[in-house]
Amino acid sequence: MTKKILIIDDDRIFSKILRDGLIGGGAGKYEVFTAFDGDEGFEVASREKPDLIMLDMMMPKVTGIEFLKKWRAEEIGKNTPVIVETQLSDLEKMSEGVELGVRGYIIKSDYSLDTILRQVEDILK
Amino acid sequence: MVPRELYPTLALLVVLYLVVIAFSYWGVRRIRKGVNEKDMEVKRRLYELAILKEISDRTGYSLNIKKILDVIVGSLNQFLEYSAVSYMLLEPAKVIFKADLERSVAPHFIKEVRTRMLGSLSALLGKDLSQMEVEETITGAIMIDVTEEPVQSYFNIPLVIGGELVGVLTIAHTKAGLYKESEMEILYKIVNQASQAVTKLEEVVKTEQGKIAAMLESMLEGVVMTDREYHVIAANPASKLVIGYKGEGTPTIFDFIDTFKEVLDIRSKLEEAIMLDKIITVPEIFFGNKYYQIVVSPVKSNVGFTKGQTLGGVVIFHNITHEKEAEKMRNDFTSMMVHELRSPLGNIKKIGEMMRSSKVLEDRKATSEYVSMLYDSSSSMLDLVNDLLDVAKLEAGKFAIEKQHIDIKELLVERVKFYDTTARSAGINLKALEGNDLPNTVEADPSRIIQVMNNLLSNAFNHTRKGGTVTASCFVHKKGASMVDEAQAIAAPWRSEGMSLNGTTLATSVVIAVTDTGEGITEENLTRLFNKFTQFSSSVRSSEHKGTGLGLVIVKGIVETHGGFIGVGSKQGVGSTFYFTIPI
Repeated sequence: MTKKILIIDDDRIFSKILRDGLIGGGAGKYEVFTAFDGDEGFEVASREKPDLIMLDMMMPKVTGIEFLKKWRAEEIGKNTPVIVETQLSDLEKMSEGVELGVRGYIIKSDYSLDTILRQVEDILK
Repeated sequence: MVPRELYPTLALLVVLYLVVIAFSYWGVRRIRKGVNEKDMEVKRRLYELAILKEISDRTGYSLNIKKILDVIVGSLNQFLEYSAVSYMLLEPAKVIFKADLERSVAPHFIKEVRTRMLGSLSALLGKDLSQMEVEETITGAIMIDVTEEPVQSYFNIPLVIGGELVGVLTIAHTKAGLYKESEMEILYKIVNQASQAVTKLEEVVKTEQGKIAAMLESMLEGVVMTDREYHVIAANPASKLVIGYKGEGTPTIFDFIDTFKEVLDIRSKLEEAIMLDKIITVPEIFFGNKYYQIVVSPVKSNVGFTKGQTLGGVVIFHNITHEKEAEKMRNDFTSMMVHELRSPLGNIKKIGEMMRSSKVLEDRKATSEYVSMLYDSSSSMLDLVNDLLDVAKLEAGKFAIEKQHIDIKELLVERVKFYDTTARSAGINLKALEGNDLPNTVEADPSRIIQVMNNLLSNAFNHTRKGGTVTASCFVHKKGASMVDEAQAIAAPWRSEGMSLNGTTLATSVVIAVTDTGEGITEENLTRLFNKFTQFSSSVRSSEHKGTGLGLVIVKGIVETHGGFIGVGSKQGVGSTFYFTIPI
């Protein structure tokens, strides 16, 4: 059964690479959706009910944290696994994510696609 | 035998002789008396000098009038006769009475002296002291009840320091008829000299204290001085501000200890400084939203016989908040730059990873997508590096523009068209409004003006949510007219809240403005927008706003290089207007 993954990130290039990587690397196991800000992310998440959300923290308009708070307040959003994408400089904000039940962190510029794919696999197993 | 007729002559001679002898004897006596008196006088003078020297030697630089009086009282018996010498000093809460008995007297004698002294002190001061507490000390001979001798002779000298009456000095005797005013001259002199010395010394000390106090008062650092028992001797206004002390007078050491107890043990630092005789520096504590560097140091005497002794300690509170803020801004700036450079670099690396390992290269469409992503990532890095170069040029005053005659209206319309796709995909309305009296051309650098317009427009889109509106407008501003009215004339939305100028002082120029219906900017942040470092302080640039923020700094530089002005107004929850002018 295919798993649904939602990527919420305003960095369109990163988003596209991640999407292609997940689709190619997952060999048809994953169906991937993308959204470019928190509002859009909420719309897509509500519609698709993803099995995993990959969330960028630094986004204009609705931030990652704001999205996550709103999503966790929904009945369907309570237990969705979330991987937070971050930059080295945001590490101090991690504690905030832990309280909201974040399952994993990836440091965008440092982690290779392989590492990210393995983390996704682990969580969706 | 002497002839009879010579008798009268002889008698006369005898009489004359007797008179001469009598005169001589009287004369000699008078001279001797004079010599004796001179001798006495010299002796008295010498004694006076000796006593004054002794007083000055024994009291040193003392300002303690009691100590000086004790010396005077102890030396007086060597040249004056009395039963008791005593002094009475007025202190704020009590009267000090001290009597030194030369011979035994009855208790009622002392009581009488005391009553008389208190009476004269009251009279001299013109206030009733009978209710004041009197602290009595009797030294010297013992008191006996057997004698009943009352006070027969009595002499009072007022003690005046710095023009103010502080007490009286009294000598008293059981014998009557002593102490004529003229005889008391030396006592006057001694007391007077001692008073003068104290007055002068007090003045010197006061002047010095005044200098130190003025220096302390004006110091930006909080300074607190304590004695060896950690009592606060002086605390300047800055130190009171540090602990938020609003009371009158000097705070106690506990005010400081209690205020800082969570972050620093001031008492143990003082103890350490005084005991180990060394300066202790606490490089940084965070307290009351401020950063302080704290220096605790022993205070040593450098004059007089106490030279080298530790008198107490001093605590200096140096507010380093500004330095810390500047440091934080620089760090934020650096980490932001690193972040902004890492993102595209990280992407370029991942694009390489994908192209190498997956089937991207086998698919023409995918290949072209990845190549254009490579192009975009490297372009955004290059843009960032160019921004940094622009800022560096602006800061060095080497920013150059190439002016041409340009049609500003056409330039704006073209920009609005360029952003049309962005607007549609984001679900934002984009409008352009132009005034009809715009000049055909203005003098400006087209590429730089496009850079400014791009920046303002993309900022507006970044801060406007779906369904909102971005309006670009262009009109002529006439010197002295209100820009709000001019904007209204072409129905352009205008957020004038927080704008530093309403335009009336600006020269006649073309105004280009971008108004959004975004979340708005706080009043505090409005003033920081165009500053290189403050842009990135956490309060302005929360994680919700991506980008280097260098854009506005460069925009301001470009506009000012054109001789124009850039301004911003905003209302939270309603939107913001950014405008710039090009003089015509």
